[in-house]
Amino acid sequence: MIADVSGHRPALHLENVRRRYGGIVAVRSLNLSLAQGEFLTFLGPSGSGKTTTLRMIGGFEQPDAGSIWIKGERVDHLPPHRRDIATIFQAGALFPHKTVAENIAYGLRMRGLQKPEITARVREVLAVVRLSGFEERYPNQLSGGQKQRVALARSMAVRPAILLFDEPLSALDLSLRLQLRSEIKRLHEEHGFSAIYVTHDQSEAMALSSRIVIMNRGGIEQVDTPLGISRAPASEFVYNFIGESCCMPLVASGGEVRDRQGGAIDLKLHTPPREGEWRLYLRPSRIKMAAAAEACENSLEVQVGFVEFLGESYRYHLRAGALEFFCDNPAPHMPRSEIA
Amino acid sequence: MSLAAIPSRETNAASEGRRSAALLERFTPLMLLTPALAIAVVFFGLPALTMLRMSFNLHVDQRLFVPGLTFDHYGEIVSNPLFRGAVWTTIRLALIASLVTVMLGYCFAMLTWLKPRRWRLYLMGLALAPMLVSEISIIFGWWMFFPKNGLLSYALVSTGIVHEKISLMYTEFAALVGLTYLSLPFCFFILLSVFDGIDRRLLESSADLGAGPFTAFREILLPLTRGGVLAAFSQCFIWTMGTYATPTALGPDALWTMGLLVQEQMLSKHNWPLASAFAMLLVAIIAMVMFVARSLSTRRIDYHD
Repeated sequence: MIADVSGHRPALHLENVRRRYGGIVAVRSLNLSLAQGEFLTFLGPSGSGKTTTLRMIGGFEQPDAGSIWIKGERVDHLPPHRRDIATIFQAGALFPHKTVAENIAYGLRMRGLQKPEITARVREVLAVVRLSGFEERYPNQLSGGQKQRVALARSMAVRPAILLFDEPLSALDLSLRLQLRSEIKRLHEEHGFSAIYVTHDQSEAMALSSRIVIMNRGGIEQVDTPLGISRAPASEFVYNFIGESCCMPLVASGGEVRDRQGGAIDLKLHTPPREGEWRLYLRPSRIKMAAAAEACENSLEVQVGFVEFLGESYRYHLRAGALEFFCDNPAPHMPRSEIA
Repeated sequence: MSLAAIPSRETNAASEGRRSAALLERFTPLMLLTPALAIAVVFFGLPALTMLRMSFNLHVDQRLFVPGLTFDHYGEIVSNPLFRGAVWTTIRLALIASLVTVMLGYCFAMLTWLKPRRWRLYLMGLALAPMLVSEISIIFGWWMFFPKNGLLSYALVSTGIVHEKISLMYTEFAALVGLTYLSLPFCFFILLSVFDGIDRRLLESSADLGAGPFTAFREILLPLTRGGVLAAFSQCFIWTMGTYATPTALGPDALWTMGLLVQEQMLSKHNWPLASAFAMLLVAIIAMVMFVARSLSTRRIDYHD
């Protein structure tokens, strides 16, 4: 039996879970626990193993090694219909020949609920996803957003130990995506279900999650709260993957920092780099354009190459010696200026 | 009203051009349809009508037919127990063969749909095999398979399932096997196309909600393929009702089918009106079955996107 320090069984526990396809390692030795009521997001580029992990939890793929526990029960040998989970698929996967009410009732019937209780629960979850009155509609009479809400209702109705989200918003257009994202957030706040959410969209991950698991090439790069991930990225990959960044290749020698062509760069770093080649990453929003007069801790004299208008801000493409990078600034650009 | 005061900017020439464009648009489909329609009418419609007319002609002495108007031939089919028997035999054979074919075809199509894509080409090739050889060659094949010294008997004896050589040649079973074999490819491809229209994730979704494989089949796959099953059944039924060589060559001598009777009345008995009456009855039965299948497959709502 798996239990954490406080004696509570985690909703989900993965131990050394591995999966390979032929010679390709899809998931390498994964260890993870999901606390009761936690919203955990697997975030990573395509091919990072996040979907494979989700499918192994759901029972649609078998792990080559390791064990999966749901509420203290080992499930990795069980088929999907014997696991206490419910998945919201990318395109909903609603049964086209069943009405909304019949779709939602499906899982309840499989769990042997009586008819009056089924009817009550169908009405209840439809109210929860704000689709009351849609009972008799067929899926092809619903919009994309409504379909996903029915899929959500169908999964919530069976009250599973864990809700699995398999990129549920990726098929929707932007405004609908934002709307449904808030909806999922609201439902999680109100109902406190445990959830695993898979996405490649970092804003979704940031907005929804209690914790984020950043995955890359079948392994975990970092597990932390959204704030922790954005404030203290654990690796170069995470820094690059979360938010935009510009990269400056630098060479450190004899306490001085130079660019690759040997031009001196006046940078004061908290921890002076050891000898060798380095890549310095900067958030474009943290670079400030300023007139020459303003003094700063770190400043570089740059030339502005060209400017892009991004709606909220301008993006300045800059050059300083051999370094090329960009920064986002709300102010109108100045031809020669200093940055800090 | 000021709006009404605005003069129409449309010149006469422009409106005329538009009208002729609309006319063209209306008649284009009809014109495109004409060649196919003409072929259907000339080569299928007219002969069928001629045959209908023929079935009411008189049959006097050994003449092929004598123009006239009589219902005697239909009466004869109903009153003659031999003919009546042949009608029932044909329907029975076609029904059994179609049911078996649909079941086999369904399993095979489902397998092809469920298996990974790399299997698909091989399974489809296998399903196509009966269509690569002519019906007559296939019959010769069965002739080597069913008799006492045939392949089947040999296989059964050598595996110890039976102790003495057996012959299944010239049995109704052999006729049914032959019919099923012939109609299986049609059935398979109809059903495969229906399966291909189903999102495979529906099965995952079903399992995810707690349904076992059999429930998923009953609740999801079967309802979604119902129309296809009925279409495949009608197709098989048409095929097995009408085909004549296979049941005649593989079945017992006493296995009289309508196809056989048409041939006999036409060529041996020189009774064209009776042969036509049989043919018309065949058409009527098939039409009836198709009508029933159609009405069963209409659903409350067309749920396909």
